[in-house]
Amino acid sequence: MWDLILNPFVTILAWLYAVLNQDIVLAIVVLTVIIRVLTFPLFAKQQESSRKMQQIQPQLKKLQEKYKGDKEKLSQAQMKLYKENRVNPVGGCFPMLIQFPILIGLYQAIFFALAATPFQLVDLSERLLIPGLDSLIPLQRFWTPIPQFLPALDLTMPPPGLTPTDNHPYALILPVLVLITTWAQQKMTMATTGQGAAKKDDDEDDGGSSGGGQAQMMKSMTTIMPIMFGFFSLSFSTGLSIYFVTSNVIGMLQYSPQGKRLMERVFRRKKTDEAPVEIVFDDEDEAPTRKRRKSRKKKPRRK
Amino acid sequence: MKSSFRLRYELIALLMCLLLFSGCVGARMGVSWPAIGLIDLNGEQHLTLAYNNDVVILSPSNGAPARLINPVNGQVFRDSENNPRTWILRGSENGGGQFYAYPLRLDDETVLLASNDKRLLEVDSVLLDVKRTIPLDDNVVANLLEADGILYLPFQNGGLSAISMDGLRELWRFPTEAGIWAQPLLVDDLLIFSSIDHFLYAVDSQSGQLQWTVDLGGSVASTPLFANGRLYVGSFNKSFFEISLDGGILSEYKTQNWVWGTPAIDEYGIIYLADLSGFVHALDSENGLLELWSKEIAERGIRAGPIVYGDRVIVASRDGKVYWLDRRDGELINAREIDERPELLGDMMLIEPSEALNIDEPLLLVTSVHDARLLIAFAVDGRQVWVYPR
Repeated sequence: MWDLILNPFVTILAWLYAVLNQDIVLAIVVLTVIIRVLTFPLFAKQQESSRKMQQIQPQLKKLQEKYKGDKEKLSQAQMKLYKENRVNPVGGCFPMLIQFPILIGLYQAIFFALAATPFQLVDLSERLLIPGLDSLIPLQRFWTPIPQFLPALDLTMPPPGLTPTDNHPYALILPVLVLITTWAQQKMTMATTGQGAAKKDDDEDDGGSSGGGQAQMMKSMTTIMPIMFGFFSLSFSTGLSIYFVTSNVIGMLQYSPQGKRLMERVFRRKKTDEAPVEIVFDDEDEAPTRKRRKSRKKKPRRK
Repeated sequence: MKSSFRLRYELIALLMCLLLFSGCVGARMGVSWPAIGLIDLNGEQHLTLAYNNDVVILSPSNGAPARLINPVNGQVFRDSENNPRTWILRGSENGGGQFYAYPLRLDDETVLLASNDKRLLEVDSVLLDVKRTIPLDDNVVANLLEADGILYLPFQNGGLSAISMDGLRELWRFPTEAGIWAQPLLVDDLLIFSSIDHFLYAVDSQSGQLQWTVDLGGSVASTPLFANGRLYVGSFNKSFFEISLDGGILSEYKTQNWVWGTPAIDEYGIIYLADLSGFVHALDSENGLLELWSKEIAERGIRAGPIVYGDRVIVASRDGKVYWLDRRDGELINAREIDERPELLGDMMLIEPSEALNIDEPLLLVTSVHDARLLIAFAVDGRQVWVYPR
């Protein structure tokens, strides 16, 4: 089953390698860019869902205060709020769940395509779907960096440090780059979804659903994820570090306002910056009524 | 409080996912498969098996590790707890060595062992001590060849080195663009070896001078078969070749997938080969590799070369099964499934009964990558005789 995702990636990577003058680094970069661009609608949906959730946080908090002792009513009111604002509380998870196997598939494709041992190579024999690519095996796994005086990097080996390797110490720059770009991408994600601005967890007993809880979670992720991916880059092949760095840089570009605009134009996505619908509670026994908040959208300046 | 607990659980779940993600990649998957060979020990022939952390010498009759025997009094050496010592060399106790090539005898008391951490170990075969370590420039994943006092060492990332067995000095070195993953073959004074750089090379065995080279259009990772004055070898270009001893391609046969194993030949000149799509092919070597039959036998690829015995062709597949075929038409006669169906990737071996081996029936030896079933001995009718677990 997993091969259905993995084998096309391995094949495309080998094909790109053939097309791009047998430059494996370029092939990894181009494949990562293609995948990140194609999965942009999923990313955008996830972001939008997070943003909407962020927007209705104050109202959710109000509801929690109002129906403190009545879980049933709280849940009804929350559902109504979600419905009125067309927010799916788990809507952000689904696109992420689809993206996850794609990203792992890409990550594994690099590992399998750069087969350096008999065991890895025998596995590759079942993964190439286009005839003729077999004659490219083994893919060139040594990469000479631009300052030509530096020794070539073995993309199948990790940088020196945790495991025995033939790679020169300058390869350690890759885990550092992975760490920095992962951190920067996390920061940009927080800024885009508005979670960076969310105030800290000021109400600890809200079931973790408040903006503060999410902000704290995101903050922890911003610390943990770069360290973890930096650690992975120290233990795994340097080819994977190139994938991590490229993926992070593309992610940063996608989260930048210009990048977002470009992607939205490419995928013809409608911009939805409607103000959230507010539920007004006139009386405890009365059914809540709705009114739309004034949009905070600034009017465009006239020249 | 509730929120911080939940947050912690979420972070732990995230960490677990990421660890799982990294584990799935198979970055820690093995380097190669077990290698089996024969070696003399205590005046008898034994089996030797090298895989990952261990090199072991086994009795062919029951698959038990051979005991270390004091040559002076004939007594078994015992450890501090009075248990008999057996011939199992652990890489973890010897500088972290990994072994994918079987040991070769240097002299009556010494064996040579190439480790996949750029070392050649000189091991006292009586006391099982590493006497000397010779640094190498590269790792070794293929079996070494010893002939006429010269040891030929093929390297994982390219090149072949000829070392004098007397003093272990390097005599010459031949570079290749990519790794040599199969044991070299000696035909008279011609040392022939394949490389995953797509070429088959022939060099002078004494001087290392290149005699000829031939591009086979894809990686070549098997030892060629020498028969009828010609060479037979397959490549990853889904082709199988008949090559003259001066390096000319005489015939080519298209296969379904990569050919990795060394082919087998019978007394009528019929060549049997298997490919990594699970096909077995029978070709007439006297008629320009004319196809006699070609059948899909296994669910997964067949890495190792077939064995011909009597009227049977025997193959072992990545699907965890051993197949016995009728060599006339490729009809399946028998199939044996190994418990838990581990991948059967290593070369097979057939040993005939002899006094030196101390066995009274022919044995088919099949290796797997499963620690509990590293080496399985079958009778030629498919009956399992013994299993060696790690």
